[in-house]
Amino acid sequence: MRVRRVTLLSLAALVVVAIGAVGFGVANIAPLDVLAIIGKSLFGLPVGGELSAGSTAIVMEIRLPRIVAAIAVGAALATSGAAFQSLLRNPLADPYVLGTSSGAALGAAIAFLVPITGIAWELGGVQLAAFIGALASVALVWRIAGIGSGEERIASVLLVGYAVASLLAAALSLVMLASGANLRAIFGFLLGGLDGVTWPRLAAAALPIAIATLLLARRGRALAAFLLGDEAATHLGIDVRRERRIAVALATLATASAVALAGLVGFVGLVVPHLARLAVGSDPRAVLPLSAIGGALLLLLADTVARTIGVPVGVITALIGAPFLLWLLHRARAGYAL
Amino acid sequence: MRVNETAPYELLGARNLQVDLGGAPILRHVSLSIGPGERVAIVGPNGAGKTTLMRALSGAVPATSGEVILCTEPIQRLSRETIARSIAVVSSDITLPFATRVEDLVALGRIPHGRGPAGPTAHDRERATAAIERVGATYLQHRDVRTLSAGERQLAAIALGLAQETPILALDEPTAHLDLRHRMEIADLLTSLAGDETIMKTKRTIVAIFHELDIVRDGFSRVILVSNGTIAADGTPAEVLTAERISGAWGIPLERAARL
Repeated sequence: MRVRRVTLLSLAALVVVAIGAVGFGVANIAPLDVLAIIGKSLFGLPVGGELSAGSTAIVMEIRLPRIVAAIAVGAALATSGAAFQSLLRNPLADPYVLGTSSGAALGAAIAFLVPITGIAWELGGVQLAAFIGALASVALVWRIAGIGSGEERIASVLLVGYAVASLLAAALSLVMLASGANLRAIFGFLLGGLDGVTWPRLAAAALPIAIATLLLARRGRALAAFLLGDEAATHLGIDVRRERRIAVALATLATASAVALAGLVGFVGLVVPHLARLAVGSDPRAVLPLSAIGGALLLLLADTVARTIGVPVGVITALIGAPFLLWLLHRARAGYAL
Repeated sequence: MRVNETAPYELLGARNLQVDLGGAPILRHVSLSIGPGERVAIVGPNGAGKTTLMRALSGAVPATSGEVILCTEPIQRLSRETIARSIAVVSSDITLPFATRVEDLVALGRIPHGRGPAGPTAHDRERATAAIERVGATYLQHRDVRTLSAGERQLAAIALGLAQETPILALDEPTAHLDLRHRMEIADLLTSLAGDETIMKTKRTIVAIFHELDIVRDGFSRVILVSNGTIAADGTPAEVLTAERISGAWGIPLERAARL
């Protein structure tokens, strides 16, 4: 079957690219050595006796956490984007449609200004603040727009999301004006990047990401019914209110955790689901798992470019994503609809 | 559930049903009973409550008082999935946010029969293909739903309902926006579909909302006239669609009603 073939091929591509990416960098390490180092360090396999301590440190302490982070963040953003696009029946929806990004940015910016230091804070105070900001923003949109009620609310969800995001962006501007020397750090968060990802920080974010993304990728049956609208979904036996709440909650948890870890990485969550639909059609039961793999693959490639040339990964995804979006729109005008 | 075909039993019914929406009563004192294999047309002026009646009969809006019976059970006791395996509701305007082939759209009708996160199974695909073939739309199966004409789209919508494999097929204005020929084709198709045996070993029941009285007279054995939120008449087309009733329900002069 086509869906299964495409999904397995993408998964294989992700594994190959991931191994290659761990080895690729200023100090190149051969793929087989990468496998040997990982096998030895993680599983205690008796392989590769002559591996240098330097190579092991580069793989295990620097590159592997960063690559696992890229995979987790890419998968979370693309799966959430695909879920929001189906749920809101809107091809322009992305993971940040309910104000996640603005809330996270404001939370992070405030955290940069708080003059607290301490072990726990160093471990991820900014990340925690971004996470809380994202959840608070979605909670606000959820409450105002009344998510979980009827069909006519979709437009109002989008509008409320936009309004709340604008309000938070204004607040962010004020905080940035007042931030003085911290402006550069805030700006770095806004651009999105995976520099300096450590195992503890990764572990804190990767667990909610993995749980929420895997659960979300399994909600495709309800999301497939949502493609036809709330009323038709009801007639197909779907409890619309319940399923919408579950999907929004899971997508928000995945997105907020991803943003906390990587800052505001744009376009992955918007573009990858459309690529997946081009490959396997519009059924979310096929689109969600493929988006997870494709998002991981895209962000991993983008981050490899980003760390090679030394720019934030968000800049790379925007550089790839924006022209791709324009190309999709061009195709739409040429007769192929999104 | 297997039932002897000769024994009439209640597939769809309402007992003194009242439905309020936003505090305003939309339906009052509605009682009806529909059996296997019946072809029932619901007619009435705009705003009379036809669509609300169909939504209440399919459990999409709750009864404010009274009750709805589906396959001999009070509908509030049935799960959403059980309802979806008993009554398919065909929408008159299917819109999709993404390009979707007709075969993939129709396969969505298998959702109430599915379980778990996987997409349509080979059996689901087979049932979807059979449904498309049944409405004579095999030539459309690879087309994007969003490029179809109004008539083609209606065929796809009916196939989606058939793929649900329910004893009852309900349609809200299946002939809206269609030209004369497509209207006749849909009406003939519905007549023919009512003769099929469903998975419950009974003939398929068709309940459809119409505005065109000629279609109702030609193709339906029973007409329910809804007026002002209540059932004004229920019987054969000859009994229900008299000039007096048409004139009264739609508020048009008697001599013009007599020519309809």
